[in-house]
Amino acid sequence: MPEPQPPQPHVPGGGREPRLSGGGRGPQLSGGGRGPQLSGGGRGPQLSGGGRAAEDGAIAATGMGGAMDLATSEGETLEKGLGNTDNGGPSDKARSLWSDAWRDLRRNPVFIISGLVILFLVVISLWPSLIASGNPLKCDLSKAQQGSGPGHPFGYDGQGCDVYTRTVYGARISIAVGVCATLGVALLGSVLGGLAGFFGGGWDSVLSRITDVFFAIPVVLGGLVLLSVVTNNSVWPVIGFMVLLGWPQISRIARGAVITAKQNDYVQAARALGASNSRMLLRHITPNAVAPVIVVATIALGTYIALEATLSYLGVGLKPPSVSWGIDISAASPYIRNAPHALLWPSGALAVTVLAFIMLGDAVRDALDPKLR
Amino acid sequence: MLLEVRDLHVEFRTRDGVARAVNGVNYGVDEGQTLAVLGESGSGKSVTAQAIMGILDMPPGRITGGEILFKGQDLLKLKGEERRKIRGAGMAMIFQDALSSLNPVLSVGDQLGEMFVVHRGLSKKDARARAVELMDRVRIPAAKERVRDYPHQFSGGMRQRIMIAMALALEPSLIIADEPTTALDVTVQAQVMDLLAELRRELDMGLILITHDLGVVADVADRIAVMYAGRIVESAPVHDIYKAPAHPYTRGLLDSIPRLDQKGQELYAIKGLPPNLMNIPPGCAFNPRCPMARDVCRTDVPPLYDVEPSDGIRMSACHFWRECLDDRVNS
Repeated sequence: MPEPQPPQPHVPGGGREPRLSGGGRGPQLSGGGRGPQLSGGGRGPQLSGGGRAAEDGAIAATGMGGAMDLATSEGETLEKGLGNTDNGGPSDKARSLWSDAWRDLRRNPVFIISGLVILFLVVISLWPSLIASGNPLKCDLSKAQQGSGPGHPFGYDGQGCDVYTRTVYGARISIAVGVCATLGVALLGSVLGGLAGFFGGGWDSVLSRITDVFFAIPVVLGGLVLLSVVTNNSVWPVIGFMVLLGWPQISRIARGAVITAKQNDYVQAARALGASNSRMLLRHITPNAVAPVIVVATIALGTYIALEATLSYLGVGLKPPSVSWGIDISAASPYIRNAPHALLWPSGALAVTVLAFIMLGDAVRDALDPKLR
Repeated sequence: MLLEVRDLHVEFRTRDGVARAVNGVNYGVDEGQTLAVLGESGSGKSVTAQAIMGILDMPPGRITGGEILFKGQDLLKLKGEERRKIRGAGMAMIFQDALSSLNPVLSVGDQLGEMFVVHRGLSKKDARARAVELMDRVRIPAAKERVRDYPHQFSGGMRQRIMIAMALALEPSLIIADEPTTALDVTVQAQVMDLLAELRRELDMGLILITHDLGVVADVADRIAVMYAGRIVESAPVHDIYKAPAHPYTRGLLDSIPRLDQKGQELYAIKGLPPNLMNIPPGCAFNPRCPMARDVCRTDVPPLYDVEPSDGIRMSACHFWRECLDDRVNS
């Protein structure tokens, strides 16, 4: 707990409206402004109940860690620009949930580390030649399974390809599959699930049964059946398959989260004060229901990257000459005794990538929950 | 009359059967008047309020009869969108638990400003300025700095005042306060009630105060309507009820208030439980718990009698309201 400090003395005297507010200490006198006089009539100042006002003052003063220094700095801005408080300086800009979350995230080391790792991965998957000059498809069988040497820090795999180059180039497919599949699943799942949860009724029942059907399809078996008929050797059939089988998971979570959020009193209160369906859904329910979706989606991102590896291993995902960590892992696994490095580097890259996304999801979730602030 | 509820019937269809929550409620409130609606849990007072506001969950709820006249217009005949525009601007509601009634992920300024954005189409910046004004109005200290704070950073009393500010934002002509002080401690209760009464006076609004706290009612209400099992059982100006209740249920409620001069005695309690709304007793719904019940009470539903002097001001739904009044005078 921060120590109670004396309240910020604050006398906004500027502008058109004469106003005297005693910064939380003792009775509050607010005259003027628009509309009828408030504290003049009847009973006089209300908040004179000593302990109560003091308590309010203390809470106002302590605030919460971050909020406090913000308030202080803004108090100063206000004093400086007294004349135009009504027009509002830059400090008057509305602070939204997302800008607050961003402010929190920038200070979170977990977010910074995972963010940098992901940024790095994204950059090398876009421009792998930045850090790897070789060609991942240029292999020399005579060097098969050799350990690291000059210019080839990770050594060679069973086909004599440079493991370093292949690991760098493999990031592209893993990131593309992971990110695209997750985005597709999250969008499709949360929109369908969220709408079903919000409106309920017949569509909700139909959608719930459909998700049950999809849950009953084993992922690997489904992949073998569906992907074996695809001849297109690109990432899109794999991503499409993951979205097709993955959305029910997010849909179910989004539906539950929306139903929970819908039952909150503040949604009822918003309705009682005249909010429309779309406003309730977008402004009151979504921010309160999005956290579980984000968490599950980031964890799922890791599993999609791993699933791509699994499918490639089974020969129904991507096939050589595509370069992916999954292909390399499956190719290197028979030689784990002779050439462990060929297995360890792509596996390590996979593990770091998955970890970074999970850490990112965690940090984002924390930042989106103002109660943890 | 600002608001008039006529013979309102609401039922809930559940798997176990039909719960008849409101069975012919009549009440009204004028501009500048405070009507207190009293009753135990499950007496239908909140459901009536939700039906007035149009925020009843339908299904399972269903309004099966009656009309709700707001400024002469039957709300039940309006379309959803017309109804929505009245909510907030024409009538507003204050809820019981201010913490759960404020959105935890939005700053209070955003939530207060939302009223102006939704109904008046103000820009975000203007709405924020109005939010600060409102917070000043309900005496939140240092409103200008605190407008960016989140609900959990406020004390319970301040949160309830913010709820009041939201309800008052567009200066509606009717406020429904559903147990606005139940979640607060006693000293804060008094502050919040005083604030509410004062703002009501200034804006000349009608106020429907739903409560089960008779102490709160005595200070602020003009009229009291007592509900039991989805019906009004007594309706009268506030001092008449406190002086001499004309219904045994009201008398039971008054007798169960702890008194300072009652030291060492056991507190009176109305025996029995409120009726199951799926199976309301025939005749007078209160008869199984009523000390005065006779045969006629078990067969005939009592109408709302006009208590003498017959001027339509005082009503009681007891066959024996005369005896009830006399009892009180004699004892």
